[in-house]
Order: sequence, then C-alpha cells, then structure tokens
Amino acid sequence: MSTLRERFKAVMHFEKPDVLPWLENVYDETLVQWLGQGLPAERVTVIDWEMGRGGTALANMVTVKGFNPYPLFGCQSLYGSLLQVDIGPMPRFKQRLLKESDRHLEYITETGAVARRSKTGKYTWYSMPMFVEFPVKDRQTWYEYRERLNPEDPRRYPKDWDSEAYVKSYEAYQDGNTMMRFNGFYGFGAEIMGIPTFNLMFYRDPELIHDMIEYWEYFTVETIRSAVETLKDRIDVVYWWEDFADRHGPCISPKLFKEFLLPHYKRVIGFLAKNKIDRILMDSDGNINPILDLVVESGINGLWPLEVNSGMNAIEVRKKYGDKLFLIGNLDKSELAKGGQAMKKEVDSKVPVLKEMGGYMPGADHVIPVEMTLEKFKEYAEYIKPLLAY
Amino acid sequence: MTDILDSIASAIGKLDSSQSAKALVTNALSQGLSPTEITEKGIRRGLEIVGEKYEANEYFLSELLYAGSLVSELFDLLKPSLKDSQLERKGTIVLGTVKGDIHDLGKNIFKMLADSSGFEVHDLGVDVEPAIFINEARQVHPQVLGLSALLTTALEEMRNTLNELRTAGVKTNLRVLLGGNAVKKEFGAEIGADATALDAVEGLEICKEWTKK
Repeated sequence: MSTLRERFKAVMHFEKPDVLPWLENVYDETLVQWLGQGLPAERVTVIDWEMGRGGTALANMVTVKGFNPYPLFGCQSLYGSLLQVDIGPMPRFKQRLLKESDRHLEYITETGAVARRSKTGKYTWYSMPMFVEFPVKDRQTWYEYRERLNPEDPRRYPKDWDSEAYVKSYEAYQDGNTMMRFNGFYGFGAEIMGIPTFNLMFYRDPELIHDMIEYWEYFTVETIRSAVETLKDRIDVVYWWEDFADRHGPCISPKLFKEFLLPHYKRVIGFLAKNKIDRILMDSDGNINPILDLVVESGINGLWPLEVNSGMNAIEVRKKYGDKLFLIGNLDKSELAKGGQAMKKEVDSKVPVLKEMGGYMPGADHVIPVEMTLEKFKEYAEYIKPLLAY
Repeated sequence: MTDILDSIASAIGKLDSSQSAKALVTNALSQGLSPTEITEKGIRRGLEIVGEKYEANEYFLSELLYAGSLVSELFDLLKPSLKDSQLERKGTIVLGTVKGDIHDLGKNIFKMLADSSGFEVHDLGVDVEPAIFINEARQVHPQVLGLSALLTTALEEMRNTLNELRTAGVKTNLRVLLGGNAVKKEFGAEIGADATALDAVEGLEICKEWTKK
C-alpha cells in the first residue's frame, strides 16, 4: 500500500496511485465550529491568532494548533508539510487599534494595511476584514516598503534551520506532500497595494509595476534559494498563490499578463527546474479560463481550486490541456455543504470521470466554509471515500 | 462635428492616455460642442465600448478600472461648464452592502460605472441595516435597489432585507438587483430578487434595460 505522499506524487505526474488522494483545506474557524458540534478535541493544544501565509496575509487569523483533523475523515490536508520560509515584511509593522465603534474596529495589520473588521458578525476571521488602506500607494511608498523585503534577513528561516536535519525530515515525511509556498507576482502586488490601485497602475504607471514585479522575482528567488538548493526535489510541489481572477475572468488581461508577468514566471520556474522541482501548483480563485494558455506557457502545471461558481470545470480543462495541468478541487463547496442528493450529484458528476482521466485529486473548490456542518462533512466523507480506490 | 465625438469615444474605448483623451475633450469644447453632447455622445459612448469589450472578454478588471478613472478625469474637465440639470439622468439607484458584510470592491466598481453612465447613485456604504435601505427608498424613490454581498454568510441578510422591503411596502415600487461574489442567479431567483448580476457590467446593462424610456 502506498503512502499518502506517494499517492500525491503519482497523481501530480499522471501516474495511477492505488488510491486517489482526497484533499481538503478546512478553515480553522470551521474547525472551531466543528469542535462545538462534536469533533473530538483531545489533541487540540491551543487556539490562537497569527499571521498566515508565511507572514504575507494582511490580517491575523484564527489558527488551531497541534491538531490534525484530516485523518478523522479519511482525507489529507492540501498543504501537507509546508516549509516555513517567511516572505513577509521585516520588520513587521506594529499592529495597533486605530479606531473602534459599536459595530466596527479599524487597526493597522503587521503588513502595514489598515483593516476594518466587523464586531457584530457571528464569525471572526471568516467574516474577513475589509482593507481600507494599503501600505504601498505609489513609487515613494513602494521604495519604503521594499526596505522591509530583504531576502538576506536571517529571520526568514526557522531558527532551527539546519540543512541535514531538514533533508532527513523531508525524505522521511509520508503523511502528505512536502510543499513550499510563496506569493505570485499579481498576488503580492494586489496584497500590498490593494486590488483597485494595483490594477490601475498597469495603465497609470507601468514602470512602477515592472519595478515591483522585477524586485519580487529577485526577492522570491533569493529568499527561497537556500531551501530550494538544499532540499531540491524533496520539495514535491511549489504552491504559488495568485488569486488573480473574479467570476468574470482574470483581473488583468492576457495582454498584460504576457507583458508584465510571464517572463518572471518563466525565470523563477527555470530556477526551480534547475533544482529538480518540477511541479508548480497555482492557487487562483475565479474564472482563469481566458488566461490558461499563458499559465501553461509559464511552466505552471497544477491548478487549485477551480471554482465552480466562477465557471471552472475540471473536465473541460482536462480535455483542453491534457497532461499539461494536474488538477485539484472543483467540487462545488456550496453543493457539498447542502449534503444529501445535491452533494452526491456534485461528487458523481466529476470524481469518477476525472479519476479515469488521471492527474486529478478531488476536493472542495476552495477552503471548507463555516456553512459546512460537521454532520454534512461526515456525510460527504462517507460518500466520497469508496470512490477513491482504483 | 461628430468626428471629434467619435474620437473621444474611440480614445476611451482604446484606453488611450489621459493626456490625449483630455486634449480631445478640450478640442471639442473649443469647437463649441456642448458639455452635454460631449458627455452623451463621446464619453458615455466610449464607456459603452469598454463595456462591450469587457463582455467579449477582451477587457478585464484592469481595463475597466482604467476606463473609469479616465472618464472621471474627463468629467472633471467638463465640470466648470456643466451643470447637473443639463444632463438627463437615466434613473436612480440606491446601493449598499447588506448588514454583516463590510466589503465594497465590487459595489464601488458598479457605482463608478453607473454614475459615469448617467445614473443618480445613492451609495449607502457597507453593513447597511434593512431600515436604512427602506428609509432611503422612501426618500429618493429609486427605480433600482442594489444589494451587494461578498460573504456567503451575508446571503441570509440579503433574503432578510428583501423581506423587510416587502413588509414595509416599498418593494412594489422598485426593482431589486443582487450583486457580489457570494450571489448566484439561482439564489436571486429563490429569494425573489428581480435580477442577479454576475459582474458590474452585467449589472449596469440590467439597470439600463429597466430604466429604458
């Protein structure tokens, strides 16, 4: 019987595993809710708030530590063993409250944005803050921010970063994939400038965008260099966060993508390839169909989450791109959360077909939302598990 | 005379630099064209071209935002010689993100397009209580009430707001348009909204259709 890691690697390379990996990513706030609905809590060590995504998320989020719920359901985490290389601003901005009313509060986040959070909502992180101000507004503020993006800062790696120990642990790990994660060229810019300003600057100040993206390429490669050159293909997959689309389509046109982003993707992916890392997974919500030819040309060869609500269809993508893209997700989370026939119909319409086509790992088309109850998730687990074995 | 108006529309449609678009508008004014004519047959026609290209997947969000900012600059140029009363309003829209949701990116893009296209837009902001929508509707008598939500957890509040509008008796005099990433057309139909727009351009087209004279 194969390990979870072997199965994941097999599917990414379009080989047939003994059992198809079922991948999910559950919001920690959903988990907190499930704990209240009867999920065994014995192994939870702490529920805390921290910055996500290696120091790049603009706000702290709730995190459940010391608890791996995935085996309880027979699935595995999308993220597996994530290498902790911090690509956030250093030093961090000091988080502090700016103003508070009976309904909202506004605070500076550790990445320098001003976030507004609702105080009246049922959920905390899940109610997502609205960012009302961003640290980078123009050339001057970009140059100031860039001072915090020094790839040589020793704090970017874990204190116990020791090549030999990490090599051994990355060889031994079998409970899922080993992954390195960083922000893409669009994602990083949108996160520090805000979506409207960043998108507008492609036209208003294209030289600034070129400068930002050029620097991000340098920063990314130099920051991850030590990990990549040490671990090489012990890193199974690189996870590239972009989120550059909405329901209508990509936020930037194929023309802009080609001019501003494509050369940088190719260079970073070339650096990874030299170090035998050849599986690159892009995370973008929304409808990315209009830009997929260029995504494939860039060297990216995996997609998650393939949002159904935005018109993404894994079967169509598979038919069009064959083995150029491995695919994860694409099960409509809102249908899964309904349970019963709606859930079964969604699973039946995709999983058996894509399983035969290969290069596909089933899962919800984004993080499991708070609307999904523990009972419905268990029902979904019991339904999908028998479909996974070959 | 119409050549210059076509050039203005074309400059916006092609996303020319603001410098060249402004030069065309200045030229049109110096030729004696009225600001109303420049607005209706030049600027708004240009915005329509952008909308058409967006719907045809030639333009995307960046292009929409740039076109919006360009048009805003051109209106600034016309302002000194343009009185509000000279412009015919296509209709009135009351707009807001429903209670429990504080996100407004999509709403603001729709607002920018609707405003530039000649609608009178009353934006109530985010996290808006049903009573605020009702009061505003009673005061300004809009043809359209736009409800926005990004979070799926806010969908029930959309249903609630719609119910409150009905209970208050204001729903009969207006049409409700839903928008925002959380909303599907099936959901809109289920709660009895008059339409659901999947993006800002579609929302604008629906409003134009509803207010056709």
